[in-house]
Amino acid sequence: MTNIVPITRLGKFFGENDFNLEIEMGQEWLDGDMNYTCVLYRVDKNKTKTDDVYGEAVSDGIKFLPPVEFNAYVAIAAPENRNVGSTKNVQLEPGNITISVYLKTLEDLEIDIDLGDYIGYYDTESFVRYYTVVNDGRVVSDIKHTYKGYRPFYKTIIAAPVGPNEFRGF
Amino acid sequence: MAFPKKIKKFIPLTEPKTLLPRRRELRDMIEQDGTFLPKSLLHADLDRGFLDFVRNELKCVVEGKTVPMIDILITTQNWVQFTETWDFQNIDKNTEPPFITVIRTPEVKYGNNPAIVYNIPNRKLYFYMKVPTWDGNKNGFDIYKIPQPVPVDITYTIAIVCNRMREINKFNQIMMEKFASLQAYQNIKGHYIPLKLNSVSDESVMEVEKRKYYIQKYEVLMMGFLIDEDQFEVSPAITRTFQIYETETKYKKRKYNSKIPPEPPVYDLIFPTTSDEIEELFNYNLNLILTFTENVSSFQVYINDDYYGDTLDTIQVSSGDMIRFQIVRVDATKVAKLTYTQSIL
Repeated sequence: MTNIVPITRLGKFFGENDFNLEIEMGQEWLDGDMNYTCVLYRVDKNKTKTDDVYGEAVSDGIKFLPPVEFNAYVAIAAPENRNVGSTKNVQLEPGNITISVYLKTLEDLEIDIDLGDYIGYYDTESFVRYYTVVNDGRVVSDIKHTYKGYRPFYKTIIAAPVGPNEFRGF
Repeated sequence: MAFPKKIKKFIPLTEPKTLLPRRRELRDMIEQDGTFLPKSLLHADLDRGFLDFVRNELKCVVEGKTVPMIDILITTQNWVQFTETWDFQNIDKNTEPPFITVIRTPEVKYGNNPAIVYNIPNRKLYFYMKVPTWDGNKNGFDIYKIPQPVPVDITYTIAIVCNRMREINKFNQIMMEKFASLQAYQNIKGHYIPLKLNSVSDESVMEVEKRKYYIQKYEVLMMGFLIDEDQFEVSPAITRTFQIYETETKYKKRKYNSKIPPEPPVYDLIFPTTSDEIEELFNYNLNLILTFTENVSSFQVYINDDYYGDTLDTIQVSSGDMIRFQIVRVDATKVAKLTYTQSIL
């Protein structure tokens, strides 16, 4: 049995009802008004066949659980124009995607986003770009991720773009 | 199941040539396409040859797919990259790993190839070949001259960009096997150019919040040389020859060298004090001529036991005759002697 200790911080002028109200309002704005939709492809670590030594999946060998759509605040960094290493091969490397998602959204969908999971984000109606989670934001104790220090309410996930050689959804 | 390595897939129907026949075969290969001169070999040829080497000799197949290679040296004109990578680009028109690319160090240094290190000063042309000619009337020769090739060292870097360790492993295996004896050779326009593996380095992108991929680089030194066919020289040689001999018109009679007749062989008959008789068999025809006597007052000659004569100056002897001499001494206590010269008939 887990010990539950009530949070009484900011108790004179802020409480759980206020917190829940703020979150609901935020979700209403994010889901209803903004409606940034991402698709989460969680890697099925049991069914994905990997190399015994390196743990690398074969081409198109990554198996994933049923994709889940979720709403989040999305920011995509500017692409970076540079050579691949010290070769003369120029790449316009897409920027990372930064996703801020309410913890309540994840709880409602009964999902969690882990390191290495894949996230699809539709740039256009016909083109989806896939990213792999490089920072799953599992630590949310900092002041930024708590509502004025009251309780954590969202997490920030950073994902780096992947090519079709690694993952291409369906 | 993999095919056992020990089983030959192809059986050669002809024996590979060795030693002199192999050298002739190489010469024929160089002279192919109707020229007696070696083919021109310049920077672009060496670069193309190296790209061919990477494409053909370092072909890397992983999971049944060939790792594509950017079959060009990307320089200052960026649009060229697209022409060689369009078939393995992703939606962003970025080259999608895995792929292999070749980078040439722009500067070309004076070569260290010991076989052709500069040793003829001033770009002197030297004799390469004498080629027979026929203009319909006259046979002749052309002399082909070429300057000594200039050795050059060109450094290339082969980079594999991929995102799986097994692709790195496979390419590394190919490189290590190809350069197991440190060097490999590439046939560029009929010339065997040595390649030496200098170093292996890694510049993989492993930053936490970036797309991760491996980049492994193999630095290869090409010990090539430059031959420019514009510097070849073909000049006509001898087409017809007159050979004139001057001889002395005055006749000289050769002096006759007469032979000095040999001394006639001497036949000495020495009679010891114990015997007054000597018998001798002759196997040839001759005349015996008496030249000297000592302590002999008289003697009798018998041929084949037949009396022939007394104290004869000349005796005619036939082959097979048995001659017996019987003497009468002057002094019975001393040795007696008869000397004949022999004249063979």
